Amino acid sequence: MEIPYEVKPRRDTGLYNAKLGVWLFLASEVMLFGGLFSAYVFLRTGIQDGVDNPWPWGLNVHKGFVWLGFLNTLVLIASSVGVVFAWVALKERNWRKYQIYMYFVVACAVVFMCVKTVEYNSKLNKHHGIKLVDNSVMEGTILEKTDRIRFEGNRAVFGLQGALPAFLKDISDEDFPAFTATVQFKDDEDPQVTEISSESQFKKWFHQNRRTASKKLTAERRRYRAEMEEFGKAAPVSLNTSATVVASEPFQVNAKPTKVVGHSDSSVNYRDGSKVEGKLISDDVKFVMHEVDLQLVLPQKQRDSIIWDVINDESAKQQFFAKQQKHYEEMRDYYEARGETIPEKMLRGHMLNLQTIDHEDHGDHEEHHGEAPHKSEAKHSAGGGHGDHSYITVPRDKIKFMGNHGPRYGNYYALYFTMTALHGLHVVGGALVLLFFTVFGKKLYLKNPEHLANRVEVGGLFWHFVDLIWIFLFPLMYLL
Amino acid sequence: MAEETHDWDKHKKTYWAVGIALFVFTGVTLALGLVPILDLGPPGPTPADFVIGLAVAGTKATLVSLIFMHLNHEKGLIYKTLLFTFLFFVGLMALTLFAGADPIIEQYDTRETTNGKLVEKP
Amino acid sequence: MSTVTEQTADSVHEGHDHHDHYEPFWKKYIFSTDHKTIGIQYGFTSLVFLAFGFFLMMVMRWSIAYPDRAVPLLADWPWFQAWLDDGGKVTGDLYNMFGAMHGTIMVFLGVVPLAFGAFGNYVTPLQIGAVDMAFPRLNMASYWFFLLGGVLMFVSFFLPSGAAKAGWTNYSPLATTTDLHYGDLFWTGQTQWLMGMVFLISSSLLGAVNFICTIINLRCQGMTWMRLPFFVWAMLVTGFLLLLAFPPLEVAAIMQLMDRMAGTSFYIPTGLNVSGMAFDAAGGGSPLLYQHLFWFLAHPEVYVLILPAIAIVSEIIPCNTRKPLWGYKTMVYAVMVLGFLAFIVWAHHMYITGMGPAISTFFQTTTVLISVPSVILITSLLISMWGGSIRFNTPMLFATAFIPMFGIGGLTGLPLAFSLPDLHLHDTYYVIGHFHYVVAPGTIFALFAGIYHWYPKMTGRMMSERLGQLHFWPSLILMNGIFAPMMFQGMAGFHRRAFDGGKAYEQISNQVFAEANGFIANICELLGIVGKNEPVLMIDLNIVTSTSAWLLAVFQVPFIINLFISGKFGKKAKGDNPWDATTLDWATPTPPPHGNFIGEPVAYRGPYEYSVPGAETDFTPQGEKDPVIVSTAEGEQEKPA
Repeated sequence: MEIPYEVKPRRDTGLYNAKLGVWLFLASEVMLFGGLFSAYVFLRTGIQDGVDNPWPWGLNVHKGFVWLGFLNTLVLIASSVGVVFAWVALKERNWRKYQIYMYFVVACAVVFMCVKTVEYNSKLNKHHGIKLVDNSVMEGTILEKTDRIRFEGNRAVFGLQGALPAFLKDISDEDFPAFTATVQFKDDEDPQVTEISSESQFKKWFHQNRRTASKKLTAERRRYRAEMEEFGKAAPVSLNTSATVVASEPFQVNAKPTKVVGHSDSSVNYRDGSKVEGKLISDDVKFVMHEVDLQLVLPQKQRDSIIWDVINDESAKQQFFAKQQKHYEEMRDYYEARGETIPEKMLRGHMLNLQTIDHEDHGDHEEHHGEAPHKSEAKHSAGGGHGDHSYITVPRDKIKFMGNHGPRYGNYYALYFTMTALHGLHVVGGALVLLFFTVFGKKLYLKNPEHLANRVEVGGLFWHFVDLIWIFLFPLMYLL
Repeated sequence: MAEETHDWDKHKKTYWAVGIALFVFTGVTLALGLVPILDLGPPGPTPADFVIGLAVAGTKATLVSLIFMHLNHEKGLIYKTLLFTFLFFVGLMALTLFAGADPIIEQYDTRETTNGKLVEKP
Repeated sequence: MSTVTEQTADSVHEGHDHHDHYEPFWKKYIFSTDHKTIGIQYGFTSLVFLAFGFFLMMVMRWSIAYPDRAVPLLADWPWFQAWLDDGGKVTGDLYNMFGAMHGTIMVFLGVVPLAFGAFGNYVTPLQIGAVDMAFPRLNMASYWFFLLGGVLMFVSFFLPSGAAKAGWTNYSPLATTTDLHYGDLFWTGQTQWLMGMVFLISSSLLGAVNFICTIINLRCQGMTWMRLPFFVWAMLVTGFLLLLAFPPLEVAAIMQLMDRMAGTSFYIPTGLNVSGMAFDAAGGGSPLLYQHLFWFLAHPEVYVLILPAIAIVSEIIPCNTRKPLWGYKTMVYAVMVLGFLAFIVWAHHMYITGMGPAISTFFQTTTVLISVPSVILITSLLISMWGGSIRFNTPMLFATAFIPMFGIGGLTGLPLAFSLPDLHLHDTYYVIGHFHYVVAPGTIFALFAGIYHWYPKMTGRMMSERLGQLHFWPSLILMNGIFAPMMFQGMAGFHRRAFDGGKAYEQISNQVFAEANGFIANICELLGIVGKNEPVLMIDLNIVTSTSAWLLAVFQVPFIINLFISGKFGKKAKGDNPWDATTLDWATPTPPPHGNFIGEPVAYRGPYEYSVPGAETDFTPQGEKDPVIVSTAEGEQEKPA
C-alpha cells in the first residue's frame, strides 16, 4: 500500500502531502504564538500606572542582553540562509554541498542555544530585585542563599495524609539529623516510636504510616456509620493523624520563602501545614544594590520612602534625587521646546524614578548592568558606610516581594521566559529534524533525491518560521 | 515539473541578496533602539517607536516568508488557509483588546483606584 | 481506470482473506498505522472514558438529590475514604473534583475523540476513496498522545491532592491557587490537568493537520469538492476549527502551568489575597486573559462536538429515507459560514465579566448570526425526511431523535446569547440544561446512531435491532427526564455549583414547581417524590433528574451487550452494503483490509443519488459507472475555507 502524492504534487491542488501538512501546521503555530503575542499586548497595555509593575523598558535595564539578542538574530538569519542553500544544493543534486550547508545550520542552532543559556543564566542567577512594603524597589544581587530563612530546628510536626512534608527538601542531604519519630493515632493507644537516620528511611516510615492512618480512618468511619445506622447517634470520628519528629541534635533548615506561610523566632510554618520548631538564626537578606526604582511610589512620598532607611546612606539618596532632577530637566526641555507640558505619565516613568546608585568606593557599577559583580568582589570591596562589606542588610519584615529576574519577577519576565523558551524548544526540535535529514538522508538521496529535497524544503519552511518568530521577538523583548 | 528547469544561479543571487538585506535590517532594528536620535518622540517607547520597530520587523518577516518560504509563488490553497489564520489571529488579538478596553465597571463604579487602594470617588 | 468492488457475498465473511501480508499482533492492533484500527482504538478508549465520566456524574447526582445521606455502595471503597466525610456523604471537595473532571473527560476524552477521532478516522478516508490517512504514522502518534493525556487525567485522581477541582473551565486565579498547600506542586491534580491538556491538544493538532491533508490531497479520482459526502465536509470544517482554535488554549494552559510551577503572574492581578493572606506573586496579570484564550477555543469546541454529529446524521437520514440529502450545497456553505463565525462569538460566555455595551453588542450580533447556519443545517435534515419512505431502524431512530433534541438545545441557547437574560441565567442549571441538550441527547445520540450504522462495515455483522430499540426508547425518555427539569430549576435561579442541590438556599429551592393535588403533583405523589397534599417544589425536581440519570445508566446495558455480543453472534450483514447506501465507504470489502479498496475507486457522481428516476435500484452508488444516469456533479471547485 502506498500513499499517493508523497513526492509528486497532486495536479489540482499543486501540492504534495507534506508541504500541505507543514503549512497547516505552521498555521496552527501562528495561532499558538498569536496567543502569546496577544497576551503580550493585552498585559502590556493593561498595566495600571502606579499599581502594577511597570514594564521594564530601557537600555538601562537590559543593555547587556541587547547584544546577545542581536547576536542571536544574526545567527538565526544566517541559519535561515543556510537552509535555503542546502535545499538549492539538493535541487542541483550536490550532496556534499548540501551536507556542508546543513551542518552549518545545525551549528547555528547550537550557537543560538548557547547564547540563550548565557542569557538565562545571567538573568536567573545574577540579577535580583527586592520590593519593599511601600512598593519601592531595589535592584541588585542577593548574596548567596540569604533569601532563605536560616533556621536551627530541633522538632517538627506534620500530617500523615497527603504528600511528604515540605521541610524535608530544605534540610541539606549531608547533615540529615537523627530523628526520633512519634505517632499516636488515638489517645488511648501507646505511641509508636521509630528511630530515623536518613532521608530514605524517613520516606519509608512516612509512607508506611500514611497507609496505616488511612486504614484506621476507614475503620473509624465504618464504625461511625454503623453506629449511626443502628442508634441514630455515634461517637465522632477522632483520629490524630499528625506525627512528631524530634532531632537528637539541632539541624539546619534553609527554608524557601515561597513555601513558608509564616515564621517566628521559634518556628517556621510551611504552606502544607508542617511546622519546624527551634531557633531562628537569621532571616535578613544580604543585598548588593545597584539601582533604586521608585516608579510605584508617589512623587511626594519618594523622599520619605522606606528604602532610604534600609539603604541608610545619605550620599546614595542625594545622588538619586540629583539624577532624577537632571532627567527631569532634560524631559522638561524636550517638552518645552515643543510648547507642551510634561505628561503626568512621564513624571512617574522610569527615566525619572529608576536610578543607578554609584557607591563611592565602588564606582564601576555602571558596567554591571549586563552582569552582576562577582560574589568575591562584592564581599571584599569596602562599602560606603555599611561596615566591611558593600552589601546592605534588608530586614525581612520590610520586604513585600523578592526574587531573581526569573519568570516570577513580573509580566515582562514571565512573557520573556515563556516565549523564548517555547521558541527555544522549536529551535531544538527543528535542528534535530534537520540533523536527521543530514545524517540519515543519504539512503533516501540515492533512492529518490526529489523526496529528500521535499523533506528539506518542508523542514526548511519550519525553520524559516522559527526565524520569523524571532524577528518579532527581538525588538519586542529587547528593544521596545 | 517545470520547476526542474529553473536557473538555480539566478535564485541563488536572490537568496544572497535577501540574506544580506535581512542582516542590514537587523542592524537598523538595533540602531533604532540604541541611537538616541532615532528614538522618536520623548525618551522611552512611544507608539511611534512601536510602529517603526514593528514595520522593520514586518519587512524582514515579509522577505523571509515571500522569498525563503516561497510564498511569492505558492498555491492558492495555502494563501487561503493563511488568510483565514491571519484573520482569526487578528480577531483574537483585537477582540480581546477591545473587550479589555471597554469595561463596564468604570462607568458605573463609584470607587476608583488610587495608589493601589480602592477609595470612594468624590 | 479500475473496477469498483463487486458486492459478492463470499468476499464478505472472512476478513483475513484480504490481508496481503502477515503482521504481528502488536503491529496490527496496538501500534497500528491503519486508520481503521486507530479509529477503533479511539472509539473504545473514548467509550471507556464516557462511561467513567458518566459514573462521576452519577455520584454527583446523589449528592444533589440526597445531600444528607451516605453514598450507597461507594463508602467502603478505599479511594473514597479520603474524600467522603465521616458519615459517608459527598464533600464539597469531592463534588468539585467530580464536576471538573466530568466536564473535562466528557468533552476532551469522550465525545470529541469518539466523534472526530473514531468516526472521522474510520469513515473519512473510506468516503473519499483514499487508501489511508495522508500521514499514517502521525495518525498513530496522535492516538498515543491522546491516550497519554487521558491517562494523566485519570491518574490525577489518585494523587494526594485528587484531580482538578476548579471546574472544567479551570478559571484563574482559582485554578492557580488551588492545592497550593501540597508540597509537590507538579503532582497535584490541578497541574496534571494542565499537563494532560497539553498532550490532548497536541494530539488534536496532529489529528487536524492529518484530516485536512487527507481530505484535500487524497480524494480519489472524480471526487470533486461538490461530490464529497457531507460527512467529509463537516470533518474538514471541524479539522480547521481544531487546527486554529486549539493553539490559544495550549498557550493558556502553558501560561497557567507557568503560573503554578514557575510562580509567574499571567493571570494573577496585583494585590490578590488568598484565604486572607497576600498571595506571593508579582501581580499585574489578568484573569480575563485566561477566559479570553480559553473561550477562544471552547466556543469552536462546541462546534467540534456538534458538527461530527450533524455529519453522521446527514449520512444516515438520506440512506434511510431513500432520498437525496435536501439542500446539499446550502448545507456545505452553511457549515463553512458556521466554521468561520465560530471563531468570533466566544465572549458570549463572558458577559458578566464586565464587558461594556459596545463589545457585548458585537458578540451578541455574531452569536445570533451563527444560529442562522445551524438552523439551515437542521432544517435541511428535517426536509430531507419529508415525503420519504422511512426505514425506522435503530440508527435512524437515533438520528431522528437527534433533530428535535438538538433543536431544543439550540433554541434554549438564544436567551443566553443576549447579555441581559444572560445576567439572570448565567451559571444556573439553565446553562447546564441547554448545553447538555445539545451534547447528550444531541451529539451522543448521533454517535450512537453512527455506531449502529457503521457497525456492519466494521465487523460484517449487524447489531441487534431488538436490543437497539430497548436502548433507544428508554434513553430518549430518560434524557429528557434529566435535562428538562434543569431548565425549570435554572430559570428559578438554581446555581450550578451547589453541591447540596440548592438545599442551603431555601428562598430559591422552595419555590413551587407544581401546585398540590394537581396532575404533576399527583404523579409525583404516586412515585413517592412528595407526600400527600404537598406541592412539588423546585428542589424535588432534583430527585427526578437524579433518578433519570441512574436509570439511564441501566439502559445503556443493552447497548454494551449489543456492542460486544453482535460482533460474534450478530446477524451476518448482507453483502458489503447492507443499508443500500451510496457513498464509497460501502464499496469496500467488509471489514475493509489495510489499503481499503480493491482496485482504485472512482467517483462518478454526487454522494446522495437515492431514488434516481429511471435507475434500476433506488440507490446509485457513487463509485458505480452507469452511463444511464447523468451526473449531477459540478466541475472542480476550490474550497473557500
